[in-house]
Amino acid sequence: MDSLKGKGKGSKGASSSSKLDLIEEWSNWSLKKAKVATHYGFIPLIIVIGMNSDPKPHLFQLLSPV
Amino acid sequence: MADLFPPLATAQVDAKTKVDEKVDYSNLPCPVPYDEVHREAYMSLKAENFEGFRFDFSKGLNQKFSLSHSVMMGPTEVPSQSPDTTIKIPVAHYEFGANYFDPKLMLVGRVMTDGRLNARLKADLSDKLILKANAQLTGEPHMSHSVFNFDYMGKDYRAQLQLGNNALVGATYIQSVTPRLSLGGEVFWAGVPRKSGLGYAARYETDQMVASAQVASTGNVVMNYVQKISEKVSLATDFVYNYFSRDVVASVGYDYILRQSRIRGKVDSNGVTSALLEERLSMGLNFLLSAEIDHKKKDYKFGFGLTVG
Repeated sequence: MDSLKGKGKGSKGASSSSKLDLIEEWSNWSLKKAKVATHYGFIPLIIVIGMNSDPKPHLFQLLSPV
Repeated sequence: MADLFPPLATAQVDAKTKVDEKVDYSNLPCPVPYDEVHREAYMSLKAENFEGFRFDFSKGLNQKFSLSHSVMMGPTEVPSQSPDTTIKIPVAHYEFGANYFDPKLMLVGRVMTDGRLNARLKADLSDKLILKANAQLTGEPHMSHSVFNFDYMGKDYRAQLQLGNNALVGATYIQSVTPRLSLGGEVFWAGVPRKSGLGYAARYETDQMVASAQVASTGNVVMNYVQKISEKVSLATDFVYNYFSRDVVASVGYDYILRQSRIRGKVDSNGVTSALLEERLSMGLNFLLSAEIDHKKKDYKFGFGLTVG
């Protein structure tokens, strides 16, 4: 009985466990990419949204220290 | 005869309206959010004391969008083996920030020279549903964390669902029971140190005082009381007790809001005295002085800073 159970878990043929594995792997990959995207893109996103809001500020105002 | 009475009677009724009129239980005010149950007490007791030099420059580009530049130089504490000695390492960093404030969307981002990003987002998904997200992202793997909160504001209650990375799930609920008393509870489950917790909070407020208490299954019991002495002065006191580790801390604090300055300070039963002064030197120019003296550990922290804009 135990050897049968062991075989069942080990074989790649069990479709339900491999589907879950795929979903888990895909979600991990997408979370990693989302984290990198947020890390590099959050501040530029705020700047783009801010520069497009009314009244539109000048690029010079963004870069000058005054 | 009847004409003589009404003026006196109405004046008295106006003064005592809140107490004497029949409580309308179907029309209670919305309570404060569960995280802010101790808000007034923490304004004086948990002021942001810092050590070293701090300079913040904030430049507004338009009504909604602003940039900020911060420089901080000072010793930073490093966790040490023995609890008696504190190890401090001098550190200097520059932080660039961008803020966007809209009635419906708020975005705040801060990035430091070592690549750490601190991001906050608050979006009104609908009239009553608010999404809040808070993230600290670093380049190092497994050192970042983020939390997403969904807040629903009902007529006299608030409910919040919290999702964090590392499988953190939490929910809080707070309800107004009478016009002055609100009760709430929270439950959370953390995946990484596999533990779950339960907590309860109660808050009673009037125009002059706020009393609140919170109990959690982590063993923490927090009780505090704030009394507003006048428009300018309020005093607060706090009692924290952990029934597992038997730690007790009691503190008393004050908050003076004056015309040109604000000074907050507290004294602790751990032998810690601290104060924070914010003085408005002129329009847009604020001077900060912070002091924290720990007599027991002999740790003295003094800081000064300037905020422009």
